[in-house]
Amino acid sequence: MQNFATEFNAAMALILNGDAELWAIVLLSLKVSLFAVLISALIGMPLGAALAVARFPGRRVLIVLMNALMGLPPVVVGLLVYLMLSRSGPLGVLELLYTPTAMIIAQVVLVTPIIAALTRQVIEMLAEEYSEQLRSLGVSRLSSVPVLLWDARLALVTALLAGFGRAIAEVGAVIIVGGNINHVTRVMTTTIALETSKGNLALALALGAILIGIAVAVTAMVSTLSLRAEQEGLRHA
Amino acid sequence: MNTESTTEPVIEANQLDLTFQTNDGPVHALKDVNLSINKGDFVSFIGPSGCGKTTFLRCIAALETPTGGTLTVNGMTPDEARRNRAYGYVFQAAGLYPWRTIAKNIKLPLEIMGYSSAEQDERVSKVLDLVDLNGFGGKFPWQLSGGMQQRASIARALAFDADLLLMDEPFGALDEIVRDHLNEQLLALWARTEKTIGFVTHSIPEAVYLSTKIVVMSPRPGRITDVIDSPLPKERPLDIRDSPEFIEVAHRVREGLRAGHSDD
Repeated sequence: MQNFATEFNAAMALILNGDAELWAIVLLSLKVSLFAVLISALIGMPLGAALAVARFPGRRVLIVLMNALMGLPPVVVGLLVYLMLSRSGPLGVLELLYTPTAMIIAQVVLVTPIIAALTRQVIEMLAEEYSEQLRSLGVSRLSSVPVLLWDARLALVTALLAGFGRAIAEVGAVIIVGGNINHVTRVMTTTIALETSKGNLALALALGAILIGIAVAVTAMVSTLSLRAEQEGLRHA
Repeated sequence: MNTESTTEPVIEANQLDLTFQTNDGPVHALKDVNLSINKGDFVSFIGPSGCGKTTFLRCIAALETPTGGTLTVNGMTPDEARRNRAYGYVFQAAGLYPWRTIAKNIKLPLEIMGYSSAEQDERVSKVLDLVDLNGFGGKFPWQLSGGMQQRASIARALAFDADLLLMDEPFGALDEIVRDHLNEQLLALWARTEKTIGFVTHSIPEAVYLSTKIVVMSPRPGRITDVIDSPLPKERPLDIRDSPEFIEVAHRVREGLRAGHSDD
């Protein structure tokens, strides 16, 4: 226990003294995951919304598939992206393996299904509410997508945060495609894994505390926002 | 006003049939419906539930597809007419969205149709004026009374200048006094805009007070039992409802409803 207390104090000191290495790692984590969420949103939101309003054969299958992809194991995603980006892989010429870009790609693969599936749910419910009105306007179902996305913005922020929570806490994919290279691709989760196995508990604990802080903040934001969205819906009744 | 121009009917139904297939066998929602509505008419559809009055309105709006006969709106199929923005539709419940302000609710069709935001603002203030809701654009629906909500819903249907206004029991949920007031306002709006209006109701006084033409319908199968051209003048103060002409028309509507009533 003595040991834990010392390590914990050292960890706090690292955070409070603004340890350069620590904050560089935090910053890289945030950068990678925010970029990944941004790209995932650009792909996932229109995709989810289109799936919500369009009617075509195979739509059900696609929705089930998308929901299933929400639970992709990160290590397997890492492996697949690794195979794509490795020297002999189809995208090997881009020389992206072991770069932050590779990590962003892996996280995009993980997060896009989450954002698309949640968007699909939200937009489908909203489109149901608007259905008669939209039909009476004689517009194609797809042309209502921008309006639907805008009206659902509060609920969609929740989807983004859920995606971000997944990306920032994930370790399996980024450690494979990023390689956990010091000062290049070392992020919070991969550092914690490495430093713990090396016995450098102070740095691991400090990063762990920050990671938990971020996770708690994101979850708090998600529940506040869903509560607000819910209340706005209830006021109608 | 050019009154000489030959008036093509706005809506023309010929032997219109609509049969729904249900688990309990086919249901004849509409059978052999023949009707023509001219430009500027105020037509009420009245009858007990299941008589097909709402179904007929929805056929005009291309929200339902007839299974037989012909139906034209402005000389086109209902679906073509819809794509040409022929009508605005006022639904039974006001159907305003609680997360949008009144102005934003009215803008919904305009946003989807891609109007510029300057044009949207201009139209919103124009229609808010028409329904006497000036200054309420920034309010949310729940901050308005039921009657005001229904007026906002009418404003939304008017926003894109359709010449035909289809209204499905818009005032059904409102109390008598509010309803009287809205009826008066609706007549004023109709006189000012010269729209053609199709209006579903199950209130005899409302149908007689508002309409130039009253279509009486019966259920099983849904059909028209009487079409009454109202002898009442266009100018109608509320107390016209005590006049002998009014009472006579109301009587004829009641008779029509009774005749079509299969005892059950």
